[in-house]
Amino acid sequence: MMDLRDKRILLVEDEALIAAMVSEMLSDLGATVVGPAGSVQNALALAQSANFDAALLDVNLRGERVDPVADVLIERSIPVLFASGYGAAASHGRAVIDKPYTQDTLAQGLLAVMAGAK
Amino acid sequence: MANVVHMAMDGLPDQVDELQALYRLTDSLYRAQSLDDVYAAALDAITLTLGCARASILLFDDAGVMRFVAWRGLSDGYRTAVDGHTPWKLGQSGAEAIFVRDIDDTSEPQHLKDTIKGEGIRGLAFIPLESHGRVVGKFMTYYEAPHVFTEHERELAVTIARQVGFSVERAYNEVARQHAEAQLRESETRFRLMSENAPVMIWMSDQQGGCLHLNRMLRDFWGVDEDKIASFDWRSMMDAADAARITSEIDRAFAERRPVKINGRYRDAGGRLRVLETSAQPRFDRAGQFLGMIGINVDVTERELLLAELNHRVKNTLAIVQGIAYQTFKGVDETVRKAFDGRLVALSVAHRLLTETSWENASLEKLVADTMQIVASHAGRIQVSGINVLLTPRHALAIGIALHELLTNAVKYGALSNDTGHVDLTWSVSAGEDRKLRLVWSEKGGPEVLKPSRRGFGSILLEQTLAGDLSGEVSTDYRPDGLVCTIEFSLRG
Repeated sequence: MMDLRDKRILLVEDEALIAAMVSEMLSDLGATVVGPAGSVQNALALAQSANFDAALLDVNLRGERVDPVADVLIERSIPVLFASGYGAAASHGRAVIDKPYTQDTLAQGLLAVMAGAK
Repeated sequence: MANVVHMAMDGLPDQVDELQALYRLTDSLYRAQSLDDVYAAALDAITLTLGCARASILLFDDAGVMRFVAWRGLSDGYRTAVDGHTPWKLGQSGAEAIFVRDIDDTSEPQHLKDTIKGEGIRGLAFIPLESHGRVVGKFMTYYEAPHVFTEHERELAVTIARQVGFSVERAYNEVARQHAEAQLRESETRFRLMSENAPVMIWMSDQQGGCLHLNRMLRDFWGVDEDKIASFDWRSMMDAADAARITSEIDRAFAERRPVKINGRYRDAGGRLRVLETSAQPRFDRAGQFLGMIGINVDVTERELLLAELNHRVKNTLAIVQGIAYQTFKGVDETVRKAFDGRLVALSVAHRLLTETSWENASLEKLVADTMQIVASHAGRIQVSGINVLLTPRHALAIGIALHELLTNAVKYGALSNDTGHVDLTWSVSAGEDRKLRLVWSEKGGPEVLKPSRRGFGSILLEQTLAGDLSGEVSTDYRPDGLVCTIEFSLRG
């Protein structure tokens, strides 16, 4: 079983129902959720100061692009996985999982970006 | 030469006048700018050499009626009275000239004889004018007294007719050519007018893909002046990310001289990225020589954005549904929730593939590959083989969900539930009119298969819902050594 034990994951997602579900999926995998943040502003605050191992970012937060948050994380060398309903075609070479996704896909995606960052 | 010998016996002065008249005729016909010039030169030569004061030229009109086109010394009343009279039909071959000493010698009807004599005519001749050996008209000579036509006069008349016939033919060809040219010019003007004002971008290229014509909308799009079209390089406007794909596809279409349809991103005159959908057709001349392409570009940027946005919203909604189910199934068996997750994602995968082609079709190969990714990897244990087939949206959604059911069933109970089993997924399309797709999911090496005592949602989904959605047949065979599921439906339906 893929395992995110002892990993801290920043979750950025604006839909409360999705955020609640993904939080549970992550806890279930043994991870600790940082956030969730539902706006670019809140996400930026956490991205700049909080401690975590990887981040899962919804690309679109209430019509705003999540890119400024990603920029901060890349600057801090923290691995980022995007979640998008736009499909992989709009990924521009970034690690993306397509919404909706299963717990397996989520775990695989996070483990892949963390392995790539090492 | 025979004429000249004959003339020499009649006397030199006549011969000289006659030769002069024939030379003048040849020269005038050569210089003639119009049919009227031809008629005038012919009438001059006829009256001078045949020694008559009166003559006429008649040609068949478009309706096949013989009409006066030029004349000397005939009254309006006479011309009206004999209008249309002809000894030959239009297009007749082998017509012979008719020489009449006196109209009273003939068996023509009395009223015609009266009309002719009323005009002061007794002797007359009908000389056929021919084009490509077929009668197109005649010329006439008229004498006030009965006239015996000498052999020499007959030969002269036929010689003149031959020259005039040839000139008429040449003039006709010229008129037809000018007419065709005018029509071509008009059609070009019409095309230009239509093209210039069309609300799409229209272009025409040479054999190498160089620009020959860009309509106003396309010139405005790329900011090209009309006199700079030849040196404009459209390839420099391609977005770097799309350049290799567009170039290879377009180059192949030019090499193979076949139609091409391609979407790609380009910079417009203002430097903005726009998505253009290009449809082009090869152009050939009458000899079948490839001339280049003619095509239209439609700016589909907004359409693509809208579609992407729609897709995003649908998928977000599916994710919210997933979230609701998560809350609802709390405390319930976890496998129930996971089964729901999988089905929802299978639907979403088919949806995404369809969105990539603007909901036109989905590739079965891609659908299989992406659907098999949903459940944690069983790479190497699922053998896939089949030619690439495009599915309609309805078929794609149904097949996507079916494949997911088969996969999850295999992982839970079938060939993928142990470490040694494997799955063969193959498909083929029949050659017949209805193009039947036959897809076979065949499991081997799993635990011994027992026919389920209860029909689960999965098998209902497969055998009933799927068969209905596909208007086809689904059979599941629980063989002891592995499940075999066969799905068959017409790609046309």
